[in-house]
Amino acid sequence: MDPLLDIQNLSLVFDTFDGTYHAIDDVSLSLKPGEALGLVGETGCGKSVLTRAAFGLVPSPPARITQGSVKLDGMELLGLSDRALRQVRGRQVAMIFQDPMTYLNPVFKVGTQLVDAIRAQHGGAIDRKAAREIALDMLEKVHLPNPLRQFESYPHELSGGMRQRILIAMALAARPKLLIADEPTTALDVTIQAQILDLMAELVDDMNLSMIMISHDLGVVAQVCSRVAVMYAGKIVEDAPIRDIFDSPLHPYTQGLLGALPHPFRPADDLESIPGNLPDLLDPPPGCRFAGRCTYRRPECTVPISLENVEPGHSVACVLRPGEAATTDSATKDLNHA
Amino acid sequence: MLEIENLKVHFPLPSGQTVRAVDGLTLKIAPGETMGLVGESGSGKSTVGKAALRLVDSTSGVIRIGDLDVTKARGRQMRKLRSRAQMVFQDPHSSLNPRMTIRRAVAEGLILNTSLRGKALRDKVAEMLEAMGLPAQFHDRFPHELSGGQKQRVCIARALALDPELLVLDEPTSALDVSVQAQILRVLRSLHEARPELTQLFISHNLAVVRFLCQSVAVMYLGRIVEMGPVDRVFDAPSHPYTKALLSAVPVPEATRRPDRIRLQGDIPSPTALPTGCAFHTRCPIAKKDVCNVQEPPRIELQDGRLVRCHFALGSAPE
Ligand SMILES: Nc1ncnc2c1ncn2[C@@H]1O[C@H](COP(=O)(O)OP(=O)(O)OP(=O)(O)O)[C@@H](O)[C@H]1O
Ligand SMILES: Nc1ncnc2c1ncn2[C@@H]1O[C@H](COP(=O)(O)OP(=O)(O)OP(=O)(O)O)[C@@H](O)[C@H]1O
Ligand code: SF4
Ligand code: SF4
Ligand SMILES: [Mg+2]
Ligand SMILES: [Mg+2]
Repeated sequence: MDPLLDIQNLSLVFDTFDGTYHAIDDVSLSLKPGEALGLVGETGCGKSVLTRAAFGLVPSPPARITQGSVKLDGMELLGLSDRALRQVRGRQVAMIFQDPMTYLNPVFKVGTQLVDAIRAQHGGAIDRKAAREIALDMLEKVHLPNPLRQFESYPHELSGGMRQRILIAMALAARPKLLIADEPTTALDVTIQAQILDLMAELVDDMNLSMIMISHDLGVVAQVCSRVAVMYAGKIVEDAPIRDIFDSPLHPYTQGLLGALPHPFRPADDLESIPGNLPDLLDPPPGCRFAGRCTYRRPECTVPISLENVEPGHSVACVLRPGEAATTDSATKDLNHA
Repeated sequence: MLEIENLKVHFPLPSGQTVRAVDGLTLKIAPGETMGLVGESGSGKSTVGKAALRLVDSTSGVIRIGDLDVTKARGRQMRKLRSRAQMVFQDPHSSLNPRMTIRRAVAEGLILNTSLRGKALRDKVAEMLEAMGLPAQFHDRFPHELSGGQKQRVCIARALALDPELLVLDEPTSALDVSVQAQILRVLRSLHEARPELTQLFISHNLAVVRFLCQSVAVMYLGRIVEMGPVDRVFDAPSHPYTKALLSAVPVPEATRRPDRIRLQGDIPSPTALPTGCAFHTRCPIAKKDVCNVQEPPRIELQDGRLVRCHFALGSAPE
């Protein structure tokens, strides 16, 4: 099947006062129709910049895309005019973010905002009444209790979980092919997060939606996605079915992340902490960006290392091959250098 | 060590309403025990921690740290409280003065509360920082020259410098990345060995972290504890319907989706208008009409010593 989204060799830098910041480096990522992919990694690794840059949402300057291509359904997006990109974002791609309040206007009723957004998605080609029908239908789809009443409320009268449902409804009203969800549940409580994650899994199935879900929490991603891409310092270091990520992670960073994660139902004697710090992306190392913290580092790690397919559906950017990296226990646990 | 009895902390609002942030909370932590305090946002966890250190005033109830009556402490007793109990907050960045080296940050409390000066003071500060994995080359750095995890370790060193008997940690790892969180959790767990007599109240909404660190856990819902007991018992065989739902909603780092999820309907009610009877009855999947919405459930002790606030904690669930 042809990919719905196909990012190839994308690199992006920020021109800053201190120099050129290499935020995204030679990233390739593709998504099949109907697929739900989790994009995980720690703060600042580039998850948001990557997904926003693909759809023209990172302002230039300071950002500059230095190479690569982004195709949606075969159409190249890099180089499109702002106007064309806005159309792509309105109709084919929808986005939701961590803090729904930032995307709702506090002085207008929720219903009004939904109707306006839906009319805009249709380029004004439908009237308010038709837009209202679509909106109510979507609110039902996201299981918002009492949609007619919520239509008349202001954003601040709703809880965080309800606001996030409204934004999901707004995003999906245009029947996009692709949903980018950037930490959609990070600000929510556990029981409310579970409701929203269930909803997202349901919508992906029902609406035949493709999704990239960004999170720093592997557990959250596991509730919804079938595949995971792990990012580290502006690069994707591993891309695999979710089962492989948990059962046979290949990249030492992925292994470190898993070793650092406490489990609520399997008490651990100890956790791992990954020693060392992130590399300076104003002057990144030429080879593997994890080399400064990796216990398996070898001389060949200093040349550029690209993501390679090592097993069906499983790619890794590391010189080690399956079986070569020992299990997670042997990584260092040295606090002083952490 | 820490004993709280029927604590109420109410905040009057300008609108005339009252936020019942903590509303009849009772708990006891044994010396040397680390207790996790979990619950959803707004359930009153931080308020309990602050009340225990008199950083907010309680409306009624009793709080004792050892033989010290916290709610009545004045003057000299207040100073005693300040050295006996310490708190570490979520955001290490805003807890440290940006213009003070970390050596200075740790020394301050010692200068105010002890007679240590000169070399003895310097040695004590160095010892505290080194115990947190911050060797000498770090001691003259300013907060902005440290990573988030390192800053949080400075905050813990500062809190421990006064040899407190009680340490209250309010979401100390929530602002940190997973790998950095692991550092801090390992530091805190090593305290169990290094300072076996230190009592810790660990406030968190992250249940996996609580499982790793704590011996006992108290689950809060709308200002009250609904279940409290040994961490293994509560996690492996939760009794209260809210605890069951909460644990079933935790995202676990595993490849398979959890099939056993209990879906709670609706949102948490506002603490300005607590539901009558059992505060959980508006969302409880087994609530019984004319019982749960009318009568406050008693605190029931299970055979394993757990305390549960539910009419049906001993079985005899509603038909
Ligand atoms: N406008 C900008 N100018 C300079 N640097 C930027 C700019 N925007 C982002 N960056 C940098 O790019 C890197 C990637 O940021 P990004 O927001 O994608 O991280 P992230 O993985 O989404 O992190 P988080 O989990 O914290 O959201 C960060 O180091 C960030 O500081
Ligand atoms: N000074 C105050 N004035 C009025 N209301 C307050 C005050 N402090 C706390 N509250 C309210 O009391 C309730 C309990 O707050 P608290 O901060 O203890 O919750 P929490 O369990 O720590 O939540 P979180 O997980 O979000 O930190 C909340 O509804 C909060 O808005
Ligand atoms: S490429 Fe080398 S340094 Fe990088 S993760 Fe693999 S072994 Fe470690
Ligand atoms: S007392 Fe009733 S409403 Fe409360 S938890 Fe028990 S069954 Fe549910
Ligand atoms: Mg981000
Ligand atoms: Mg709090």
